[in-house]
Amino acid sequence: MNAGSRKIVPRPKALNCPSCGSAIELRAMGAAATVVCSYCSSTLDATNPQLVILQKWQSQMTVHVQIPLGSRGSLFGAVWEVIGFQQRGITVEGTDYYWREYVLFNPYKGFRYLSEYENHWSFVQSIPSLPVHGVNSHNRPTVTYSNLIYDHFQTAQATTWFVIGEFPWQVRVGEVVAAADYVSPPYMLSSESTANEITWSRGVYVPGADIWAAFQLPGAPPAAIGVYSTQPAPVDNRPGRPWKLFFLFSALLIAMMIFFAVKARQETVLDQTYTYVASTPGEKSFVTPPFVLNGTSANLQVEVTGMDLQNEWAFLGMALINEETGQAYDFGRQISYYFGTDGGESWTEDNHSDSATLPSIPGGRYYLRIEPETEVGTGGAVSYRPIKYNVKLVRDVPFYFRYFLGLFLLLLPLPFLGRKGANFESLRWNESDYGVPPNAIVWQSNSSSGDDDDE
Amino acid sequence: MSQPTAICPNCGAQIRFRWSSAIQTTCEYCKSILVRHDVNLEKVGQVADLPPDISPIQIGTEGVYRDTAFQVIGRIIYSHDVGAWNEWHLMFSNGSSGWLSDAQAEYAVSFLSQPETPLPAANQVYRGWEFVQQNVRLAVTTLTEASYEGVEGELPFQYWDKAKCPFADLRSSDGRFATIDYTETPPLLFLGEFVEFESLRMVNLKEFEGWTA
Amino acid sequence: MSKFYMIYSSLVAGGLFYSGLTGWSFGSYDEVKGVPKSVRDNPGAYRSHYASHARYFGGK
Repeated sequence: MNAGSRKIVPRPKALNCPSCGSAIELRAMGAAATVVCSYCSSTLDATNPQLVILQKWQSQMTVHVQIPLGSRGSLFGAVWEVIGFQQRGITVEGTDYYWREYVLFNPYKGFRYLSEYENHWSFVQSIPSLPVHGVNSHNRPTVTYSNLIYDHFQTAQATTWFVIGEFPWQVRVGEVVAAADYVSPPYMLSSESTANEITWSRGVYVPGADIWAAFQLPGAPPAAIGVYSTQPAPVDNRPGRPWKLFFLFSALLIAMMIFFAVKARQETVLDQTYTYVASTPGEKSFVTPPFVLNGTSANLQVEVTGMDLQNEWAFLGMALINEETGQAYDFGRQISYYFGTDGGESWTEDNHSDSATLPSIPGGRYYLRIEPETEVGTGGAVSYRPIKYNVKLVRDVPFYFRYFLGLFLLLLPLPFLGRKGANFESLRWNESDYGVPPNAIVWQSNSSSGDDDDE
Repeated sequence: MSQPTAICPNCGAQIRFRWSSAIQTTCEYCKSILVRHDVNLEKVGQVADLPPDISPIQIGTEGVYRDTAFQVIGRIIYSHDVGAWNEWHLMFSNGSSGWLSDAQAEYAVSFLSQPETPLPAANQVYRGWEFVQQNVRLAVTTLTEASYEGVEGELPFQYWDKAKCPFADLRSSDGRFATIDYTETPPLLFLGEFVEFESLRMVNLKEFEGWTA
Repeated sequence: MSKFYMIYSSLVAGGLFYSGLTGWSFGSYDEVKGVPKSVRDNPGAYRSHYASHARYFGGK
């Protein structure tokens, strides 16, 4: 052989497991350090042609391998073959959490990993450089890598519980590493360390649908459960957005209020004082001279003031009658004024002024018909006393209260919405070592959910 | 480039040296390890069957590093817990030699360097130990007791049948790489950097059945 | 979820705008059609719906 010859490495031949004798296919063509027999689950030394047994299977775990070993898929610009799978777990406050990892291989690109937890997927690759450690403004640990700051999410002891296939390092069931995760969604920076070694890797969140498409897996990807540490926040759930909308609409409401206030005609079409004497015989009702109400549809304020009552009530039955169409708007107002002394204290019940606004009166020529009435004394006695009162009609008056009511209505849903937007981030950080997002103010000092280190 | 030739003392095959400064080489045909004494070659050992090799790189692969062309002329094969890895010996077009570390498809080019400060002893170094060389801060990320598996091709020193080979690998925060080789006394320091496979623009690589480059 | 808020706010704003345009208010009245022009000269001919609704309220 000389320098110019092309050496073609053939596909691996099947070998036999020395423990159970079943056929083992080596896909990584010798890159793997260990291979696990899929029948008897013994871990074998893949670098030794005799496939020396390294560990017989311990675990009784049932595990669902979602991407079968040997599958090839296209992700991030290259073709990868799944050559190994493992399930690892941590224990936090008594609860076990498991996740799964798939070893991907391409002889020209090397190794990558797919990490899956609760149907959230990440594409992971080892990084050559060391990140730089630091803290954020709330004293939470961070690492910086390639100009991106990652917030510390969790540190735990990760145990390998189940392995199958080939791995570029020697795996043993039961092996423990210290795993630390730092996140900057959608990216994660992770370290795994033992006494003699630390390795760093970087992962990016990949939607399940992309994994299914890449490996052409059957069916639909199972729905992801909960919020994952690096899951990108949905766009319209970003905290702060409902508040921006609130300010936008509040400004709109204020603008409307000013607009209608300026636009309001506030035309006084009638301002007359009348006198009513109960004892006068004959028809008590009367009509005002006609007046024009401008505008297509506007309100009409009816103000009755200065009614001169003495411990009695008066009732004004009124009808706004359109001279041309014969349409009448019939309404009545009750006016009263009572006073007295009660054990040394004088009281009044004062309703001797009254104001009502009639809605949406069409424009046209109108007159007002008024029919006054007062209470009849005991025995049917009627009063001789003249009662004066003033009736004022104003066309198109502005309103203010309703806009403040509108602002209140806009404000009302916000505590529930704001929480939902912020809720995504709260859910994300809930599973972290801190329980709250990295910029949350924690009132208790130095209470972490990690292990105490008094040994 | 002069290509001196010699005869394998074991099987008589013609040995052609790609690199004039080679101290040791192997015979492609009989796998003998041959040390060069001027014109004569002395057989000092035998290379056992090498472990299966997934590296796309082979002896004779050519590439470019930092605008200098190189050819792969030799290698040392190690194995440890993380599996086997190759240290490819590179001969640059300017006659100098360097190393391409090839482990789990992570590639780093490094060169033998004179340490500016004394290197720690094997029993002093630990994961996380830091030092500064040529203005680069490096920290120990891996301590390995590797096993020597074999050699192939031309090497700049005598190297065969090593027992345990302790190494400390160091990394920086900007892609630099260093290795302290404790198989020699005093230990050897290699400084370099990680490189992307594609950036070396290598040709004459191995082909793998079922994969396209 | 802020889509729902957007719709909700638009309804609130839209409602207020409509009320401003049409002059809507809380007052109520009975609409009576076909009041003859003769009522102008003879107000007594028209019987207000409210006259008989007068009630006594108030006073201790």
